[in-house]
Amino acid sequence: MVTSKKGLYVGRNENKKFNRTLLKIKSDTELKFGLTGLTILVFVAVFASLLVPFDPYFFGPDILNKLGENQHILGTNHLGQDIFSMIIYGVRTSLMVAVGSALISAVIGILIGGIAGYFGGKIDLVITECINAFMMVPTFFLILLIIALFDSSITNVMIVIGLTTWPSNAKLIRAQALSIRERTYVKSAVAMGETNLQILFKYIIPNGIFPVLANTTIGMSNAILTEASLSFLGLGDPNVISWGQMIFMGKQYLTSAWWISTFAGVAIVFTVTVFYLLGDGLNHVLDPKHKSRKGA
Amino acid sequence: MEAKKSFVKINNISMWYPQKNKTLSQVFKKEQQWVKAVDNVSLELAKGEILGVIGESGCGKSTLGRALARLENPTQGDVFINDISTQNLIKEDQRKFRRTVQIVFQNPFDTFTPRDTIEKILMRPLKLHGIEKNDEERRKKCIDLLESGGLKPAEEIMKRYPHELSGGQLQRISILRSMLFNPQFIIADEPVSMLDVSVRAEIINMLLTLSRENDATVVFISHDIALTRYISDKIAVMYLGKVIEYGDCETIINRPQHPYTQALISNTASIDPDEEREIIKVEGEPPTPVNPGPGCYFAPRCFKATENCFKQYPETVEFESGHFVSCSEI
Repeated sequence: MVTSKKGLYVGRNENKKFNRTLLKIKSDTELKFGLTGLTILVFVAVFASLLVPFDPYFFGPDILNKLGENQHILGTNHLGQDIFSMIIYGVRTSLMVAVGSALISAVIGILIGGIAGYFGGKIDLVITECINAFMMVPTFFLILLIIALFDSSITNVMIVIGLTTWPSNAKLIRAQALSIRERTYVKSAVAMGETNLQILFKYIIPNGIFPVLANTTIGMSNAILTEASLSFLGLGDPNVISWGQMIFMGKQYLTSAWWISTFAGVAIVFTVTVFYLLGDGLNHVLDPKHKSRKGA
Repeated sequence: MEAKKSFVKINNISMWYPQKNKTLSQVFKKEQQWVKAVDNVSLELAKGEILGVIGESGCGKSTLGRALARLENPTQGDVFINDISTQNLIKEDQRKFRRTVQIVFQNPFDTFTPRDTIEKILMRPLKLHGIEKNDEERRKKCIDLLESGGLKPAEEIMKRYPHELSGGQLQRISILRSMLFNPQFIIADEPVSMLDVSVRAEIINMLLTLSRENDATVVFISHDIALTRYISDKIAVMYLGKVIEYGDCETIINRPQHPYTQALISNTASIDPDEEREIIKVEGEPPTPVNPGPGCYFAPRCFKATENCFKQYPETVEFESGHFVSCSEI
């Protein structure tokens, strides 16, 4: 019998699937660089306290030291803080903002978009109009306003970024839900007596989440940029070390101590690039229609 | 034929969809045009009977199936199972309705979510309906079920994902899963049309055996007339949302009265190459289901059409006992 023969190959099949995924990751340069960069960033964030040569919150006597002066690899700022240590601690802030806001934005977007796409009809109409209205709002100025009015803590920044960026996620998952709800497995779930909510969480969302994942990674880099911009405008959390703030503070010393702003800027560019590459790479790998140029 | 008591009573089921692309004048007049995918279908079935529904693509066979299984709510009409209105049943106890009525789908490759193993797929409905006490017993039931359907080794198959199985295996699992609740009324929507010819007979026989064991009534939707003839007790022929001829299987096949049925059957390939028969050619396409006109829908393509046919939709007449035809030329 065909069935009994096939049973023997299960282990091999799973192995093959894993290898295929690995090959896909390897064949996509962007994803490879993105993943390497992310690993470095996460490593630095986790072991930040072990990596720093000085306490970044310590206001030392070495004011405006040049590169390498008094063992300060990247110099110090006008308050005597070590720039290299500050940049390493800044990774934590950036990643926290990125992950926190992306999570908020993804959860809200998936729920709202999923409901709109699955239930359709009038609910969809209302939600789609809401999404469109939200997309018209100039996000950055809204964030600016809210942060200026309320407390500018890092948590607030995270929440506000999350609350203003969900519409793109909602649109993506809505489009997915619209097509998935016509699939046979959803119909068969209905025939098996599953409720609408069960179908939404069990079939629609898990099967339509990939484009949102890719979008979320790109959203993370935008969140980092937004946080940096807010800090640069002086609306960042004063209790936390952030790259945007370093640029802001170093601005007035740009002619005499260029290192304060420059290295923070480089760090932002690096991190944002990493997340962009990751998002782009994920897009390629998760999209079955995308073929690598090598023809592999 | 013996007069069996009707078990499933399909009462004037209609499935209308609003027309989307309206012309400007229709918008101003606030006229709503309807696409009548299924229009006033009434049929009666005895317990354990198998009804074959045939017709060309787009005639509303599948829509009828979906309406019967309540995947969509019919515009009007109701189905009575054992004199219980399903309309009321689904409002009172949706799960009980789902246990009574089950549907087998056409595409086995898309019937199961790609993210779950067969084990999860089979256990989920059992858990949902609270069948068996604990997961251990449910798992055992699933294994027994798969083995009864010839899917061995069941333990291995339970660990697989749907994309790792063949279409025949998946369709068997799909049928077995439908049988989990011992349904009284099964709708099979072209269950073998996407399968390899070599496994079709197996699947069909399995469906028949299982439904016979349950003494379930089956609506078998197909465009394969030879297959329908092989399995069904009664046949309903559909054209543009309406049942145009209905009766016992052999009567319909041997003595079709409606010109459309005659054309349909004359075009079926026969095993016997020497069999002499006339192939009736039907030209053109069916008219649009939006306002198909006052007369018989088939009249523009009918080889027997007379002037009368274009005036009014023919009434359904009982040509002989249990054989209903909608044609004014009889």
